[in-house]
Amino acid sequence: MSTLTTGGTVGLGLKRVSATKEPDTKIKSYPELAILVDISSCIGCKACEAACQQWHDLTPPIMTPEEVVERKIAGYQSHPDLRPDLFMLMKFNEVETQRGFAWLITKYQCMHCREPGCLIACPSPGAVVQYQNGVVDFDHSKCIGCKMCLVGCPFDVPRYDSNNKPWKCNFCIDRVSAGLEPACVKTCPTQCLTFGFKEDMLEKGQKIVNALKERGYKNAVLYNPEGVGGTGYIYVLPHGDHIEDYSLPSKPHIDASIALWKGPLKTLGSFALWGAIIAAFLQLVIWGPIKVLGGKEEKEE
Amino acid sequence: MAVGSTKFPGEIERFSALDRILHWASAVAFLYCFFSGIGIAYPKFSWLLTVLGGGEFARWLHPWAGVVFSIGAILMFLKWARNMVLTSEDIAFLTRIKAYISGKHEELPEAGKFNGGQKLYAWVVFISAFLFFLSGIAMWFPENFDVGLVRWAVVLHTLTFIVAGAFTVIHIYMGTIGVPGSIWGMIGGKVSSTWAKFHHPKWYKEVRER
Repeated sequence: MSTLTTGGTVGLGLKRVSATKEPDTKIKSYPELAILVDISSCIGCKACEAACQQWHDLTPPIMTPEEVVERKIAGYQSHPDLRPDLFMLMKFNEVETQRGFAWLITKYQCMHCREPGCLIACPSPGAVVQYQNGVVDFDHSKCIGCKMCLVGCPFDVPRYDSNNKPWKCNFCIDRVSAGLEPACVKTCPTQCLTFGFKEDMLEKGQKIVNALKERGYKNAVLYNPEGVGGTGYIYVLPHGDHIEDYSLPSKPHIDASIALWKGPLKTLGSFALWGAIIAAFLQLVIWGPIKVLGGKEEKEE
Repeated sequence: MAVGSTKFPGEIERFSALDRILHWASAVAFLYCFFSGIGIAYPKFSWLLTVLGGGEFARWLHPWAGVVFSIGAILMFLKWARNMVLTSEDIAFLTRIKAYISGKHEELPEAGKFNGGQKLYAWVVFISAFLFFLSGIAMWFPENFDVGLVRWAVVLHTLTFIVAGAFTVIHIYMGTIGVPGSIWGMIGGKVSSTWAKFHHPKWYKEVRER
């Protein structure tokens, strides 16, 4: 993945880099990209999941019926959870809503937060990058395997391989940088997925939400959580009063503890340690070492 | 019998071989954790990771070194905790620490085998090892814990580092150039009688009376 990062400096432009000074974004500018997921037109066919695996050359093991029963997966879900070799997963939930029984489907993968918790938590310079188009990507060559990206993620997305390297959706950055749409979008048969500039996607999403409201889905919402600065995947959720039932957090945000340990605590640590070194040094030069009898000789008894 | 006094009349044993091995095993493990932790937490010091075997290796060894340190701390606790109970004299020592560091020795209460500062550091080590271990386990296996818990474990790990790290800087200074002669207690185990009488008069008397 490192070639992408290197190429990205000129090719895609970098917006943020983990544990590194913010890049100068005045040189290049590129508008934010997004994928609009219109759940109201999703039929749950999982073609996007298949296309994702095909494009990324992933072969997650197929679950046996026994495994499916054991793990209590309701209905149609292919796997219980994301895996290092499964970047996206269609999640299915059955719930009672105000409009009666509903089958809630969610396309679940990295959300490409514009304020990425993984990038903020990552201590290794350059291991997580965000391109100017908003896409968040990992660079395994710079990753030390500390798993802090999972700790920082508000959506519980990164999954680790046997070397503790994280894997997740990379928004098909290789396709996108070549002018193609992501594999999932390309394959979607119902145009539930749309790819384009974020501004346009927000506009289109809002139109669909308004139409849904007219059709009686009073709680329909456009899911673009502000707590993480908005996301690269935005969702039209017909049952906006059941966000959690879509397996999405209702108010995702970067946890206060992360800001605490990346900010004030690091400063405090610097002061405490340099302070201790300076204090020891001052003791040495002001009073000198604490010598026996102040340095005077005494005869052994 | 004064320990070793027949052979070396001017020296008395301060730390047994087992004490010394425990101390240095814990010390080496702690220092590895200390420097690799700084390298991981502070990008400006990520070059430390290169020195310690590379980022991936340092991140792999850090928790194992932590386990060694934790075991060392437990054993040191079992062996030394009784000697480390803080008395009112130790509190008096700590409140008048300025007299100690400025060489006005005579103003302070006589110290036993360990003075108030050493006892305080011992408790910093015992307690920090416990907190490092608890929070470290959550950070080592974040998938197996509630993510909210892991996030605050990082905060706890950092806070513990700040206290234990600053105290350790002082400990290393005092054990080497700050208090000349004390290093031999941990290297070879014997200190000069003069040193013992001056820095730990009560302990010196106890040893002599034995």
